[in-house]
Amino acid sequence: MEDREFGFSMSEEQCSMKDTVAKLVKSMVSGNPSHDMDEARALPREIIDKVWELGATVSMVPEEYGGYGMEYSPIMNTIVLEELACGDMALAIAATLPSTFIYTILEMGTEEQKKKYLSLYCDPAYKACTVALNEPRFKFDAVSLETKAEKKDGKYILNGRKCFVPLAKDSGHLLVAAAADSKMELFIVEGNNPGLKIGEREKNLGLYALESYPVVLENCEVSVDDRVGGEKGCDYSRFLQKSRIAMSALGTGVSRASFEYARDYAKERVQFGEPIASRQAIAFMIAEMAYEVDAMRLMTWKAASALEAGRDAKKESYLAKLYAGEMTMKITDYGVQILGGHGFIRENPVERYYRNGRGIAILEGMAMV
Amino acid sequence: MNIIACVKQVPDTEAQIKVKADGSGIEDGQIKWVMNPYDEFGVEEALKLKEKNGGDVTIVSVGPARAMETIRTALAMGADKGIHISDPALDNADAFVTASALAAAIKGLPHDIIFCGQRAIDDDSGQVGAMLAELLGIPQLTLVTKLDFAGSSVKVIRPIEGAQLSIETSLPCVVTAQKGLNEPRYASLPGIMKAKKKPVDVKNAAALGIASDVKAKVAKVVPPPARAAGKIICGDDAAQKAAELARCLREEAKAI
Repeated sequence: MEDREFGFSMSEEQCSMKDTVAKLVKSMVSGNPSHDMDEARALPREIIDKVWELGATVSMVPEEYGGYGMEYSPIMNTIVLEELACGDMALAIAATLPSTFIYTILEMGTEEQKKKYLSLYCDPAYKACTVALNEPRFKFDAVSLETKAEKKDGKYILNGRKCFVPLAKDSGHLLVAAAADSKMELFIVEGNNPGLKIGEREKNLGLYALESYPVVLENCEVSVDDRVGGEKGCDYSRFLQKSRIAMSALGTGVSRASFEYARDYAKERVQFGEPIASRQAIAFMIAEMAYEVDAMRLMTWKAASALEAGRDAKKESYLAKLYAGEMTMKITDYGVQILGGHGFIRENPVERYYRNGRGIAILEGMAMV
Repeated sequence: MNIIACVKQVPDTEAQIKVKADGSGIEDGQIKWVMNPYDEFGVEEALKLKEKNGGDVTIVSVGPARAMETIRTALAMGADKGIHISDPALDNADAFVTASALAAAIKGLPHDIIFCGQRAIDDDSGQVGAMLAELLGIPQLTLVTKLDFAGSSVKVIRPIEGAQLSIETSLPCVVTAQKGLNEPRYASLPGIMKAKKKPVDVKNAAALGIASDVKAKVAKVVPPPARAAGKIICGDDAAQKAAELARCLREEAKAI
């Protein structure tokens, strides 16, 4: 019964949203702006604001909490993430980062948490909030965290270390994933909590434009009311599924960018009297890139559609993320290879896709559907 | 304020246009269709006027069934309702028939100001706005790059070579939008979702009481001539090569 979904055509609204994001990306992100962001190691606020104004994140929050009361749609979110990541993966993560916080509270928070936190971030102006999930240790496993939350005197005391926390420094709140009595839970931690130490900006292989930080939790006190879901706790498995599908969508986007750039280049670049695309060695690579991008997208959509139907997508989301992680490496590598020496220098974007795309197989919790 | 914006669906500027073998038009199967960019300036200005002064924005479009997508795009940007004039009899409409259809639809509506793009990027004829104003018997302001609304009149700027004209007229009037008028907004996701529920009236030629009285017919569409190969002037003697270059420029290219 798990393979029930069978519809690959997009609705009019999905097409329209895809076109709108693609149009914005084309005019404000692709090409020079994306290159400049990477070089400057910073994302221009006006581009983040423009993406935020599309309202993709807040549209699915009920009006009573400051949103637009549209139907929650993981599929729509994968479409938006792919289009944004096709322009720039760092921007895609930063501009949709509040989704990681908002969707989690929306789906798993208590009524009080929704009232208190959603309106705070469903603002016409973009405000950063983030997730602290990854941990800086060998054999990091998202389902068995070393960060611990102990209940003491009516409070939770959090201790542990986190890394790759995007925009931690500017975030009003962080969702911190921690083990409470060996069950994984999420805690809402204020950015200025004295038990929270945000370290020096990380120097990463890719995603130069995205600020990320290590975070140390040292006897970080959190009210019991700020455990996501209250007494009941959160559905941590679903939280991971939403993150994994989002990472797959980002992988699809950055892979598609590399594929399209390399394909167009190969059709124009003449060597030995003909475009290199007419040489089989290149043509085969381009064909492989094309079908792997499609495969990645279909796996991502399949997982998202299971979530959208209200079903568990544990298997589908794991498979999509695993596949997207591996294939993004392969495709963005092909992108560099097809451009040859031109692919190795920074002036062509395939170099950036290669570095950014490498993160898909490693990172977690940086986006949400 | 009753604001109307006329829009046309045109091939995307990046679409690769192929002319049909019989020269009757272009192959339109694989083309991506978008709102005419000049009409987008008109829609944006209409929305800005509405936001400042209240009222509503009606989108009017003449085109086949697919033109509905473009009307929905304008509704997603924030317009309130639409009129889609769709009739196979209008498939070969020229500027006059299009303007007649728009005028017939708009006559029945309260209208203070009507926006059109200064021209459509597909046929580049640039006549519809002017004809529409004439058919409605109201003033027209063309190629507008700035617009100020003051109660019962509008003041606009139209750039001309080396200067700009400041023109004022009473309402109602037709304004044709030029690049520079504004920066069209992107439709938001909530806007897109709401657009589906906004009313769009579909009308045919009979309902509007118009006929396809075409004044100008496209006789044939031909692709531009293929670019001829370049010419390389060879030789060891620079002076001789220069002389040959001058001769080519004068006699073959007729450039000097």
